[in-house]
Amino acid sequence: MLEKTLVDSIKTIDSLTQAQQLALGKFIDKGFPTSKWEEWKYASLKHLNEHNWQWSPETLPVDLPNPVWKHSAIIQTLNGNTHSEGALPLGIALLPMSEFMAQNPAFDSVWKARNPILDQNSLYDLNDALASDYAVLWVKNGVKIAEPLLHQYLVSGQLDTAVQSKLFIYLEEDSEITWFEQQRSESSHAILSNYVQEIWVSKNAHLTLIKDQDLQQSITHVDHTFIFQQESSLVDAFTFSINAAYLRNNLHFYIDGPQVVSNLNGLYIPGEDQLMDTHSVVDHRMPHSESNELYKGVLMGNATGVFNGKIFVRPDAQKTNAFQSCKNVLASDRATMNTKPQLEIWADDVKCSHGTTTGQLSDEALFYMRSRGISKATAQTLLLLAFVQQVIDKLEHEDIRAELSDKIVNKIQASLGLTLL
Amino acid sequence: MLSVKNLHARIGEKEILKGINLEVHAGEVHAIMGPNGSGKSTLASVLAGRSDYEVSEGSVEFFGKDLLDLSPEARAAEGLFLAFQYPVEIPGVSTTNFMKSAINEIRAYRGQDAMDAVQFLKMFKEKMAYVNIDQTLLSRALNEGFSGGEKKRNEIFQMAVLEPKLAILDETDSGLDIDALRIVAEGVNKLKTPQNATILVTHYQRLLDYIIPDFVHVLYKGKIVKSGNKDLALELEERGYDWIISALD
Repeated sequence: MLEKTLVDSIKTIDSLTQAQQLALGKFIDKGFPTSKWEEWKYASLKHLNEHNWQWSPETLPVDLPNPVWKHSAIIQTLNGNTHSEGALPLGIALLPMSEFMAQNPAFDSVWKARNPILDQNSLYDLNDALASDYAVLWVKNGVKIAEPLLHQYLVSGQLDTAVQSKLFIYLEEDSEITWFEQQRSESSHAILSNYVQEIWVSKNAHLTLIKDQDLQQSITHVDHTFIFQQESSLVDAFTFSINAAYLRNNLHFYIDGPQVVSNLNGLYIPGEDQLMDTHSVVDHRMPHSESNELYKGVLMGNATGVFNGKIFVRPDAQKTNAFQSCKNVLASDRATMNTKPQLEIWADDVKCSHGTTTGQLSDEALFYMRSRGISKATAQTLLLLAFVQQVIDKLEHEDIRAELSDKIVNKIQASLGLTLL
Repeated sequence: MLSVKNLHARIGEKEILKGINLEVHAGEVHAIMGPNGSGKSTLASVLAGRSDYEVSEGSVEFFGKDLLDLSPEARAAEGLFLAFQYPVEIPGVSTTNFMKSAINEIRAYRGQDAMDAVQFLKMFKEKMAYVNIDQTLLSRALNEGFSGGEKKRNEIFQMAVLEPKLAILDETDSGLDIDALRIVAEGVNKLKTPQNATILVTHYQRLLDYIIPDFVHVLYKGKIVKSGNKDLALELEERGYDWIISALD
């Protein structure tokens, strides 16, 4: 149940449709997730009850830096409102969901049957209630765009602000894009950034999805990314969780056709007073598909990390290959990491493996490096950078890789308190 | 340059070094020999600053400075080098990058400017010739998947790059075939100058055929029980350690 004062304030929002009111009712009944909820055990959002939220944030114009590398378009989502800066490439459209559905009436029933696993996720309800008629990025049949589409996701506010953002990406058959999403904030106030992204990847389509999550310390950011993959489609997903006081990723893959490949790569590097939680779901619903998960974490200061990786292999999903690996380094005595791989396999002809490790940097390696004149802090940094490199190296786009690599190096150095020579 | 006085060291409750006295001067080569478990490697580790050991008594001065008061990295910057018996694998860090970091941190400690890439490469090429090591090994992750011989050769290469005033070689001969041993020994001999010194920690006399020591010390139960010149090593080779031990026990 939501706190009384918050119920009063949220009920002042008017002009909600019946469906929105229904979703809002669900949210009010459940309230914000607490540590008593199994899926939120280490990542309670109880602190959100202590703010007098501004539920309908204004959209302020912002001046975000353009990237130095070549991009095919810039799309901005500012406090939930999405628009494109300049023209979009041929074969790509940005339009409201209502218009998209009007043009694709047959998709409505398919969409309603998509059936993601929501557990008791009240934030999805909240988003459903308040993010109305959100934007759709529509990539038409056979359209292949080599240069990345840059998505600038920004939350801001001059009061404590709750932002609901939602975006739907629809890739038609044989299309191919790289979606590079920079998640940023501009506020000294508390912000709840509640983001839902749903992606439909049609037959033979190829999506590279890169998320660069670098938000301020006053931000609570919850990212729900649900990806529905059809036959012979390929998705390479990357999540780089760099900064925010609280960062939760619910990344779901629903494999709805054969010959699908889903690659999930993630790196989280929380420092002092930061919590980063990854809940991944890979739901193999159809046969002959493959999923690969590679997650790495470096936990510094008093950081908390959570990794919960669920893999479902449904009875029809014979000949599934599903792999999961999650490796963590505690770079401080005060940091904690909670890992939980969860495999549920109902098919009998499958190959599945998982492994999670959490350890510290080797004292032997550190002494060896120090005995050569390398300071303890530099030795730690060198070892940590070598540890995270495996995930960064998987990025094919050279400029994005360099940009993220610098950002990660800087964060680790700053958290360990040094500059590398 | 090195003056060890009445050095006692323990690991947990167990005392391993029980009063070591050792004076090393510039230009000298000292061999420390002794049966297994006598404390040879402990002495090397304590001098390099391994934190597993607690020094309970005694002092070590290095060029007049209290060595025991310095961090391992400061000891290296002051000119001490330990060639490890078991060089550690450092995944994801190449020897080249590792040495670049080491050189420039040491230079910073000494108040010198950082070396640029061109100077670095030139110096690297020179040193590679010392130990007959090739470029491909240096670009691989340090010690990862290296053979025993490659690891030891890499240790001597690092020593050539860092140009220590005092090098301690901990069982550098163990696990080496005769060719590798010769290459490593030649490297050490080439690096020898009247200004630096070497301590060889070894179980066998074999290495001393290639690197001739000025002094040989026998370590037993945490103490130096006998010292002599290179002839002592030959005698140990012939008669073993028993004749010394039985005279003591």
